Amino acid sequence: MTRPIRMALTKGRLEKDTVGLLEKLGFDCTAVREKGRKLILPVPDAGMEVVLAKANDVITYVEHGVCDLGVVGKDTIKEMGGKFYELVDLGFGRCKFALAAKKGSDFYSGYGIKTIATKYPNVARRFFEKKGMDTEIIKIEGSVELAPLLELADGIVDIVETGTTLRENGLEVIEDVSPISARLIANTVSLKMRHAEIERLIRLIEENI
Amino acid sequence: MQNYDLITPEGTKDLLFGECTIRRSIEEKLSRLFKSRGYCEMITPGLEFFDVFNLNSSYFPQENMYKLTDSKGRLLVMRPDSTMPIARVVATRLKDAVLPLRLCYNQTVYRTEPTLKGRSDEIVQTGIELIGSQLKIADLEVISTAADSLREFGMEYSLEIGHIGIFKELVERLDVADNVKEKIRRLIETKNFPALNDILDSLGEDSVTNALKKLPGLFGGEEVFEKAEKIMPDESIRRLLNELREIYCDASEICGNGSITVDLGLVNKTDYYTGIIIKGYLQGHGEEVISGGRYDKLISEFGYDVPAVGFAVNVNGIAKAIEKNGILPAPPVTDAVVYAEPGFEAEAIKAAADLREQGLTVENALFDDLESAREYAIEKKIPKVVVIDGSSKEEE
Repeated sequence: MTRPIRMALTKGRLEKDTVGLLEKLGFDCTAVREKGRKLILPVPDAGMEVVLAKANDVITYVEHGVCDLGVVGKDTIKEMGGKFYELVDLGFGRCKFALAAKKGSDFYSGYGIKTIATKYPNVARRFFEKKGMDTEIIKIEGSVELAPLLELADGIVDIVETGTTLRENGLEVIEDVSPISARLIANTVSLKMRHAEIERLIRLIEENI
Repeated sequence: MQNYDLITPEGTKDLLFGECTIRRSIEEKLSRLFKSRGYCEMITPGLEFFDVFNLNSSYFPQENMYKLTDSKGRLLVMRPDSTMPIARVVATRLKDAVLPLRLCYNQTVYRTEPTLKGRSDEIVQTGIELIGSQLKIADLEVISTAADSLREFGMEYSLEIGHIGIFKELVERLDVADNVKEKIRRLIETKNFPALNDILDSLGEDSVTNALKKLPGLFGGEEVFEKAEKIMPDESIRRLLNELREIYCDASEICGNGSITVDLGLVNKTDYYTGIIIKGYLQGHGEEVISGGRYDKLISEFGYDVPAVGFAVNVNGIAKAIEKNGILPAPPVTDAVVYAEPGFEAEAIKAAADLREQGLTVENALFDDLESAREYAIEKKIPKVVVIDGSSKEEE
C-alpha cells in the first residue's frame, strides 16, 4: 500500500492561503485548521497528507521525495534553488524583491564598492552580477532595514509588499529585482510515478486559481 | 588548529558490513547482466585532465568538479562522469577496434554537491556504452537493458524516454540569443510552466513557441504522441517524434506495457545528447537512479566520428531505495569458531582450513581459555565451537 500524496506547506500565510484553496476545491481541511501542535495532518477526501514546515524545509523535503508536492514562495526558490518541478503559479503571496536604500541617497553614484545587507545573499549576488557590479554582501537574519540606518550597508535587497516598513524607516525602493508569488512544486520522481493522482490535483487547482 | 582526524569529509562516508553487502550485490547483479549481453568492462583513471570535461558539447560546471594540479602544475579533476573518459579512450586506443563496441564500467564519480543537503559527493556509477551503431535496435538494446537493470531489484520502477532532438529542432527555429535558449531549456527541464509561458509569450505567438510551451506537459503513456503530433510545426520534427514513437512502442512490447513512459520535456543540462534520453525511477526514491541517452557527436570531439548510446545506474541511489524498502540481502554468517588449547595452534589453523574446504565459514578463536571462546561464540551467534586439544571435539 503506497502512502497518501504528501504536500508540504510553508507555515504561516502561505499555509492559510493554501488551505483556503484546498477548501475551495471541496476538500475537508478541518484537521489542518484544528492542528494543535501536530505537523502531519490528513486531508482524507483528497487522499492527501499535509506537512507543515518552514519555507526552506519545504524545498528540502520535496527534493528528497519524502514529500511529493510543496507550496513555497518564489523568494525561497530563488534563494535556495534545487532540483524539482515548478508547476503552478498559485497567484497568492504576491510581493517582490527590491533593492532599497536611504531616501534621497544616490545609490549608484561614486566608485566605491557598495555594501548590501540581505536575508537573500544568492538573490542579491545574482542581481549585481548581472549588472557586472562588484558588491560586498552581508547576510542579516532579522530586520534588514536596520543595516542602512546603522550605516552598516549602502542598501538592502529584500522582500517588499506594501513598502510601509521601508517608508517608516526612511528608506525607498531604488529598483525592483523580481516579482514573487507562491508556487506549487513537485518532486521529479513523484510526478512520474504518481502521475494520475498528481495530475488530477493540479488540474483542479489550475481551474480554481 | 582544528584536527579532522576522526571524521570523513562532508559528502563522503564509510560503508560497513551490510551496506557493503548491498552495494556489492547491486554491482554484481548489474555486472552479470551487462556481461551476459557482451559488454566488456573497462576502468578509467580517477584523475583526468580538466580539458577532458571542458569540451564544447559537454557541460560540467567547473564549480562542481574537485580540482587539483599534477607535478607540472596542470589542472586535474577527479572524474565527474564516466562517459567522457570512455569517449576519450574510444577515440584513441580503440579507434581501430571492430564496431560495435560494447563497454561497461563500475566506478566512482565525484561532484561537489551543496553542503548540508544530505547528498553524496562520491557516487558509484555502473553503466554501459554501446558504440558504433545508429540503428533503432541499438537504442532498443540499451533501453531494454536499462529496464532489466531496474527490474533486478524487485521494486516498483518506471523507465522513461524522451528525444532531445525535438527540443533542439524547435529551439533552433527561434531567433533568439543562446542564453535565452538556455533559459528556455532550463524552464522546460524544471517544468516551470508560468515562467516558460512568460518568456515565450514575449517572443510572439506561433507554432514553434506554442509547441515549446506544451513540451514540459507532454509526458505519460502513448496518448502523449497523439497530443504532440497535433502541435509539432513541421515535418522534420514530426519525423523525430515518429522515431521516438516507434522506439516507445517496441520498448513497451519488449518490457511489458506500462513499464515504459515518455516525457518530451526531458532536456538534460549535459547537452552532449543528440537523440533518445533515458531516465529510470524507483518507487520511494526521490531522484532518478538511471540516466542516459544517445550521444552521436561527443566522440567526434575527441577526433573520432562514431555514434554511441548508453546509460549509467546510480548505485548509491539503488542502495538507498533497497535500505528504505527493507529488502536486505542476508548478512554473512560464521559457521564455526576453532579454539586451540595451548600448544595446538598449528593443528587448529589446519583444522579450520579443513572445515573451510567443506564450504564453511570458519574463524580462529583468539582467546586464552575455552570459556572466553564460548562467550564470544554466543555473543556473535556462531553455532559451533571446535576445540583442538589433540583429541578433536566439537560443541554446539
